[in-house]
Amino acid sequence: MVQTISRGSRNKIDGTDPALKPRLRRRSVFEYVAWVVCSLIGLGILVSVSTNPNFKWDVVAKYFTYQTIISGLMLTIFLTVASMLLGTLLGLALAIMRSSRIKPIAATAGVYITLFRGTPVLVQLIFWFNIAALYPNLTIGIPFTNISTAVDINALMAPITAALIGLSLNQAAYMAEIIRGGFSAVGKGQIEAADSLGMSGATKMRKVIIPQAMPSIIPATGNQFIGMFKETSLVSVLGVAELLQSAQLIYARTYETIPLLIVASLWYLVMTLLLSYPQSLLEKKYSRTSSRLPRNAKKVVLTEPEGVAR
Amino acid sequence: MSNDGTIHARRIRKSFGYKTVLQNIDLDIACGEVCCIIGPSGSGKSTLLRCINGLETVDSGVLKVNGEDFGYYETDTAYHALSPKKLAEQRTRVGMVFQQFNLFPNMTARENVMAGPVLVKRGDKKQAAKRADELLASVGLDAFGDHYPAQLSGGQQQRVAIARSLAMDPEIMLFDEPTSALDPEKVGEVLMVMQDLAKKGMTMVVVTHEMGFAREVADSLIFMDEGFVVERGDAREVLANPKEPRTQAFLKQVL
Repeated sequence: MVQTISRGSRNKIDGTDPALKPRLRRRSVFEYVAWVVCSLIGLGILVSVSTNPNFKWDVVAKYFTYQTIISGLMLTIFLTVASMLLGTLLGLALAIMRSSRIKPIAATAGVYITLFRGTPVLVQLIFWFNIAALYPNLTIGIPFTNISTAVDINALMAPITAALIGLSLNQAAYMAEIIRGGFSAVGKGQIEAADSLGMSGATKMRKVIIPQAMPSIIPATGNQFIGMFKETSLVSVLGVAELLQSAQLIYARTYETIPLLIVASLWYLVMTLLLSYPQSLLEKKYSRTSSRLPRNAKKVVLTEPEGVAR
Repeated sequence: MSNDGTIHARRIRKSFGYKTVLQNIDLDIACGEVCCIIGPSGSGKSTLLRCINGLETVDSGVLKVNGEDFGYYETDTAYHALSPKKLAEQRTRVGMVFQQFNLFPNMTARENVMAGPVLVKRGDKKQAAKRADELLASVGLDAFGDHYPAQLSGGQQQRVAIARSLAMDPEIMLFDEPTSALDPEKVGEVLMVMQDLAKKGMTMVVVTHEMGFAREVADSLIFMDEGFVVERGDAREVLANPKEPRTQAFLKQVL
């Protein structure tokens, strides 16, 4: 035992040195009440859900890995990945346009972002599906020549195409704002340093601005990705057989509405949980401003004491 | 005679909105001259420096750097802005060191020094790396090539920043309060590097509050206040016997 010189050490009451006693957190009555009430509510819901026969858990189990559901899930994953990719690329272009010094370019991007963020995705999806009502025939050709091909929009705008276009264009508007936010987080001094070296605009963007904007862009993009996964369920209104629509197709036949919605929801939940793990890793990785370890850390030998990071 | 390494300014004016920060500034700096600009904050010294590097544009007046009109080309009636490419070319001949170092945090010290030669001049990477190591050695940071800016002290970062500017082989180096953000202990190591540079004959314009550096290293001294050049002359002469009352008042406070 450590011999202390303080007066307190002499006042031993039950043999424990007062200096070594743990300091306990104060627990209010409210905390105990909260424990009891929340546990009771949780338990009640759990009992009700598991004993109510109308949930038909056997049906849920039966359809959980059903062929139609799994192929719907695959389509949902495809739609999520594809529209996120296209949306991010277009969003990057929009973000660069938005921060352009040339007014009409910045304004064009601004109008796009306003339009696509200002209207519901559901409306946009239905709009793209019915675009043929506005432009029945699209003629792609070289101006002032006879070389051209007519494209039948109705045939081109299959439900999946419309879904992909609608989701991507909408996502691009949100991604543009996220990326632009990342750009503006890069310090003015960094841009001045690049300018004073005579760096061109494109090099500055690639080597200075984008790498430094990444820490704030990546976590937000991960969030968008998770959001997009659930947003794809809207596509069911176009008749695309993604996860929700696949469930709907089955219960339209069997009238087991709730169990099949549970099946779909469980899959959404599972995928979201799976995605949120890498998301949290990314967030942790990029929350540090930059690496604290030297590159090729093993090779570096710190000789001077001042070499240690401040 | 070559005009490389010279700065010539006549009646430079610059205002931000309604506030005029540079009022009819005349400036002549010869090749190899070390000029210190001193004055209270808000006197326009940093703005003057930033104009010479094109980080700010002057509203009117003549500004010739390395003998060329900087950022503009002259016609009979007006000055026309140069293309970004030509402006960048002129800027590569003028190095700038900032108060806040502004190293690129996503690059190691070596990559920072290589940034100019590789990313701007499109030079060979291996050669640039070798040159970068030499430059880092010349500022006393041989062993720190693989370190990121966050792992370096303020003084070390500022020395890397100086090496980064030198990598472009500029004729003129501009220093914007290079030691103001450093703790007193690290000021000396940066001033040493700057003194070495002055000895090698680099044209330098230094905005500073380090009167000791001005006295020992500078050839000429400019005292600015409220956008005007109040007094100029030989550095030691001005510091020892300031003629203008405003200069006397300022130096009394800081010396």
